[in-house]
Amino acid sequence: MSPDGTAGKPVPQVQLTIDGVAVSVPQGTTIFDAARVNGIPIPTLCHQQNENPIGVCRVCVVEAGPKFAASCIRQAEQGMVVKTNTESVVGVRKTLVELLMSDHPSPCARQQHSGDCELERMAEQAGVKQPRFPQKVTPRGKDESSIAIAVDHEACILCERCIRGCDDIRHNMVLARRGKGYQAGIAFDNNLPMGSSSCVSCGECMVSCPTGALTNRAVVGTKLTGQAVPPEALLGLPIFKNVSGTFLELNSHAVVERRFRAGDIICREGDFGATAFYIVEGKVDVYLSSPIAHVKTQDSGQGFLSKLKSLLAPRAHDRRTEEVDRPFIPIDASVDLPYDNPIAELGPGELFGEMTCMSYYPRSATVRAKTDCTMLEMLRNVLDIMQRNKNFREQLDRTYRKRALDSHLRSVPVLASLTPEFINHLREHVELVRFAPGQVICRQGEPGDSFYLVRLGFVKVSEHRPGGDMVLAYLARGGYFGEIALLGGIARTATCTALDHVEVVRIPGEDFQLMLDKFPAIRQKLEAAAAERIEANRQRAMQVANVPVEQFLNQGLMEAQSLLILDLERCTRCDQCVRACADAHDGVSRLIREGLRFDKYLVATSCRQCRDPLCMVGCPVGSIRRRNSLEVIIEDWCIGCSQCANNCPYGNINMHPFPVEQDDPTYPGRRIASVKVKATSCDLCLDHEEPSCVYACPHDAAHRVNPPEFFAGLLKQRSSGMKG
Amino acid sequence: MRIDETHRKWFIGSLIALAVALVVYIPYSRSSPQGPTGGSVMGLVYGSVGSAFMLFAGLLGLRKKFPIWRIGRAQAWMRGHLWLGFLAFPIILFHAGFHFGGGLTTTLMWLFIVVFVSGIFGAVLQHYMPRLTLERVPMETIYEQIERVRGQLMDEAAKLVEEVVDALAGNLEKATAEERACSASAGTMGGLTVASGLQVDEEAAVELRGFFTREIQPFLEHAGSRGPALGDRNRSQGMFRQLRVLLPANVHSTVDDLENVCEEKRQLDQQSRYHKILHGWLLVHIPISYALLLLGAVHAVFALRY
Repeated sequence: MSPDGTAGKPVPQVQLTIDGVAVSVPQGTTIFDAARVNGIPIPTLCHQQNENPIGVCRVCVVEAGPKFAASCIRQAEQGMVVKTNTESVVGVRKTLVELLMSDHPSPCARQQHSGDCELERMAEQAGVKQPRFPQKVTPRGKDESSIAIAVDHEACILCERCIRGCDDIRHNMVLARRGKGYQAGIAFDNNLPMGSSSCVSCGECMVSCPTGALTNRAVVGTKLTGQAVPPEALLGLPIFKNVSGTFLELNSHAVVERRFRAGDIICREGDFGATAFYIVEGKVDVYLSSPIAHVKTQDSGQGFLSKLKSLLAPRAHDRRTEEVDRPFIPIDASVDLPYDNPIAELGPGELFGEMTCMSYYPRSATVRAKTDCTMLEMLRNVLDIMQRNKNFREQLDRTYRKRALDSHLRSVPVLASLTPEFINHLREHVELVRFAPGQVICRQGEPGDSFYLVRLGFVKVSEHRPGGDMVLAYLARGGYFGEIALLGGIARTATCTALDHVEVVRIPGEDFQLMLDKFPAIRQKLEAAAAERIEANRQRAMQVANVPVEQFLNQGLMEAQSLLILDLERCTRCDQCVRACADAHDGVSRLIREGLRFDKYLVATSCRQCRDPLCMVGCPVGSIRRRNSLEVIIEDWCIGCSQCANNCPYGNINMHPFPVEQDDPTYPGRRIASVKVKATSCDLCLDHEEPSCVYACPHDAAHRVNPPEFFAGLLKQRSSGMKG
Repeated sequence: MRIDETHRKWFIGSLIALAVALVVYIPYSRSSPQGPTGGSVMGLVYGSVGSAFMLFAGLLGLRKKFPIWRIGRAQAWMRGHLWLGFLAFPIILFHAGFHFGGGLTTTLMWLFIVVFVSGIFGAVLQHYMPRLTLERVPMETIYEQIERVRGQLMDEAAKLVEEVVDALAGNLEKATAEERACSASAGTMGGLTVASGLQVDEEAAVELRGFFTREIQPFLEHAGSRGPALGDRNRSQGMFRQLRVLLPANVHSTVDDLENVCEEKRQLDQQSRYHKILHGWLLVHIPISYALLLLGAVHAVFALRY
């Protein structure tokens, strides 16, 4: 029975004439539907069959008796005479199309990609080549924040098909109208960028859009090998529940099924990639094959003929200052790897390679099939759909709490002493929160209500100061923030922003306090760490305040603690410094005699130990960090992917090859010779009194200096010159 | 190496050593009935000291082969090379009593003069040329990379010209998607030029392409600025000024870019010249120094033995 109790009652029919054809339809039928069921086409833009008509575009205009009417909303009436194709109707329709075209960038994205923009096709059929009205594309902008869907507000004709698709069909209630007049458009949530909104990327809006306002963002240039999965099969998986089938069809190339046999290597650490893997069946081993050791430069001990030698030294044999005993190595998967035996197992329902897929970071670990397995390999637009899917989120969340929270908390040295009981307590209270690139996680000055642990991606910590923001740190997986405000009961002292696709574990303030009360040792460690951070920030602020010369700052020299500078009035470009550096490091020079210039000095490309170390952004295993002295330290578990070397704006990180022996993947049990690279930067030839480059310069042109001290006179002179 | 106040100790030390050598030499030369000779005791002392200084100066080359050996800073070796090498000349003159002697010793003296003069010439060059390079070649690059950078400049100039010529000729093929979209909405012919803010001007396109093929391309393709008109900064400025007059104002920024490309090429050529001057004298100084040391050893053996 229907809700209005009309079940069983015959619906009265109305008779009308459409284009001279007698038609009978149930009462309440619109003219548009009456024509459609009788095979008479009426063009329309804002209406489609699965949505409620709203009659905003008026393109479906017909003559209904003496008047023009929008056929999609006008109900058929008894005896009505409808004309859909008279000269006046065609004229009116053409004018409407011309008006729409005058505010539509042509060709729009859809027309360019597939030639099926409904408006432009309609204009072409109507013979609208040059609109009579002045072409004015209102600048409403584009929104490319979503990975799966591109939004071009300028191509939007305000037909609201997307809004009805989102609200009425999918019940997601994300889309609505915004603005007035020429500034009117569609808005996601409270007019947020689509990528930051609560949009679940179901794709309904995109498949509803008649123009290029909402289009599929295919990942170009990547062709996946594997068996294509039909949309119906994908929809059968719980992780794709509620996703638009058309959307999956459009992205059919972006997700494939891969089958691996036990022992097959699925991906290798350090390789660049663009996909993530979802395990459907089977088990895999995740491990690091790079030696867990750092590059050490050592004196060969041959007296005055001594030569430096580079070798790989594990933490146990060569403990560096401020070396931290991290028990786990963070990787791009739901688990961390134990430091002593870096291997873990993943099973059905688990995902790995998220950071590689979303932010194009190198693979953080090698993955080998432990049993025969079936996986879905996907590009970022499909992963985005999955990650926004509530079912999948819940599944990921459950897996994380069950398997990874424990090791994640323990991997943070200050929290290593948490008891299993308290971790069980936290299991129920922590929250996994995702942030889009550029999104602010917490803002300076706001009250502190939570403590955060970084699970995925990179967080930029910056402080607002007169004259602009200053970057205090970049935090990778295992990093934490928010403790200063909670410990001191004060407002946030810095703003934390997601640099890329970030996921954090949020521990509510009450649980954080409970932890401090229960574990005084942890409170002590956190307080000490917070005091160190505050002191480092204070010192940095003082240094910046004392440097007035813009150029000095622009060139990043202020960022450096130690610079190799070449006095170009003395340097004869003989390259002895470069030769010496190469000789000191097994032929791998860590110095290039090229770089920025400040006054008569060339700032050679040798590590500056920057205070804003961009090299740390993107390390897939978080193996590059800095000491409290701000000097860069590369941890033992560097996988040699070169990301830091590529990121360093000054080209100051080098990749040093080392011959190693490793397991032969083809013949288990056999060892084969191989070469592994490790990142390294200038260590100032610490084993010697003076860096080799400076020692070997015959012209007294090369110097290692502390920039603010060395340039103090010059800066003073310049700033007084500027004042004068 | 710049010879400045940091050399004071070496300068004073050398001056004292020279004064001592001179003070000893005057009575020695007066007391020798047949005049000072290399075979006398004092002559041998001067010869040994002078040879030791020369040998030390010659060892700099070897020192440079092993830059990280901790056998003293290269800077100290270089200063020693300069000042002891300088001192060796008057001391050897004292050793020879200002006579050139026989065939071997005359050859030795002439070789020494060449080494000494070329050394001073080199020291002067090393004092002034780095500053000159710093001032006149602000776009300096690593010398070995000059050819590569020149290739990049050629590509950059060709790309700049190609883009503007296409736009001026209304060629839509190479336009970006955005430009194509704008051009379509802007109308029909010359949509691209409208989108890019230019007007269709085929004559200007021909003029620009002609200038590139005739002047810029040959200048950038070959190393060295001698010959092509663009190699001369003043003439180049005049030519680009004239080109701006012939082209629409909207293209002037591209002309500026092209002029900058030519300026960078001129600077690279200049750097190359300076580098050859700064290091070219070593082609004379080093081989003759080795010849001098070798013949000096032969001379010593013969003189002492026979």
